[in-house]
Amino acid sequence: MTTIEVDWTRCDAHGLCSRLLPEKISLDEWGYPIIDGRVVDPALVQAARKAAMACPALALRVERGAM
Amino acid sequence: MTVIADPSQTTVHTFGAPRLLAGVAELGRVDLGHHVALHGEPVLRRRSWLSGATRDVNLLGRGGAGFPVADKLDAMPSGRVNVLVNGSESEPASRKDRTLMSSAPHLVLDGALVAAHALGSSDITIAVHDQRSYESLMLASQERRDTAGVRIVRTPDGFVAGEIRSVINGLNGEGYMPGGRRILPHHHGVDARPSFASNVETFAHLALLSRLGVADYARTGSTSEPGTSLLTLIGDVGGPGVVEVPNGIPLASLLPGQADAPVLIGGYHGTWVRSLGGLALDRVALRAVGAPLGAGVIARPYAGTCVLTEVVRVSNWLASESAGQCGPCFFGLPALADDVAALAAGAGADRLQSLARRVSLVRGRGACAHPDGSVQFISSAISALGDEFEAHARYGSCGRPPSDVLPLPGGVA
Repeated sequence: MTTIEVDWTRCDAHGLCSRLLPEKISLDEWGYPIIDGRVVDPALVQAARKAAMACPALALRVERGAM
Repeated sequence: MTVIADPSQTTVHTFGAPRLLAGVAELGRVDLGHHVALHGEPVLRRRSWLSGATRDVNLLGRGGAGFPVADKLDAMPSGRVNVLVNGSESEPASRKDRTLMSSAPHLVLDGALVAAHALGSSDITIAVHDQRSYESLMLASQERRDTAGVRIVRTPDGFVAGEIRSVINGLNGEGYMPGGRRILPHHHGVDARPSFASNVETFAHLALLSRLGVADYARTGSTSEPGTSLLTLIGDVGGPGVVEVPNGIPLASLLPGQADAPVLIGGYHGTWVRSLGGLALDRVALRAVGAPLGAGVIARPYAGTCVLTEVVRVSNWLASESAGQCGPCFFGLPALADDVAALAAGAGADRLQSLARRVSLVRGRGACAHPDGSVQFISSAISALGDEFEAHARYGSCGRPPSDVLPLPGGVA
């Protein structure tokens, strides 16, 4: 199972994650990501990794973990 | 019931025979001689005994989260560990921790020594931020010979700074703020070692439990949660101040009068309830009805006053206490406080919808408990104080004088 998580102390509302992973991430009224569930659908794992790598604040974590 | 007024103007009450506060009504501060006369020397037990006994009496942490102490003990790894006693009472409405530290400091030290011994450690840190508690503990530590491993540290003020993970980060030289990743004290605590960390009152109970044994400890309280609790009672209550009560007693017995009036349970991260109904002092049951006991604060505004004034005041304060680390909290809490103020000034259903949406945007989106706790205070006020909000929406105000019972730092009574 792959999960996606935000480190809120790092996130600066750049918003790139939402552009790269719109299926999973929208932005709130202040520009911070709203993640639609922690678990990432296998089809979206590649895009999720890209979004995490693109985050200028290194605030997005994509982790493979056991159930 | 005994009532005294101690020098900090916190009135202390007990219902039935006091335990944690034994001698406090008579002495004010229980010094070493009186402490030993009342409680004897600390009884040091093995880890397995303490783990079993804390489970038998269902001892729940007294800092707010109410986590089972036995689980915390069992989670501690072996090897070099330490003990962290959190006396950084950062809830502005709560006085119970500083009352305990300033009046019964030896019981806190005993409890810390009991925990440390059980875990094979002598390394104890007590984190405090008010001056009186600090002086009382320092004096107590100098009064006795078994406190060589005890370090007493002053911590900064601030709601978020007093949370245990903030305290650990601060002690480790990283600033008194919670970190972005949820790291538990028993993995990475003080000095980067595993810490058994809990609230001061928890440690005082460990001292009593170790001294009394399970059967005697459980002579008071309820079957589901034996023993006593310290509470801070505020406003229209039987006796305002810090009170030690047996667990399980009906909350109505602490708040006689007004049968149907809003009550704040747990403090500023707590919950407004429409009325006390049949609620009892039972941490598990209170959590189950959505009104956890939190830091042990119970406040009831006086009849005929405008509660919304206070809800607005505390909401603004909660917004100002955001550490500013996490966007949804930093931007969301002021926006929510504005929504609350607008509703109290008579705004209608649209504003209520905006508030409901923002509640969902703030909850669960931060590094610490502050956004969630603040949202709990605000959203429970909206649901429990519906009649009041309706009156304000209709007439712009309820016409009653403002309630003024909830204390805020900086002397706002």
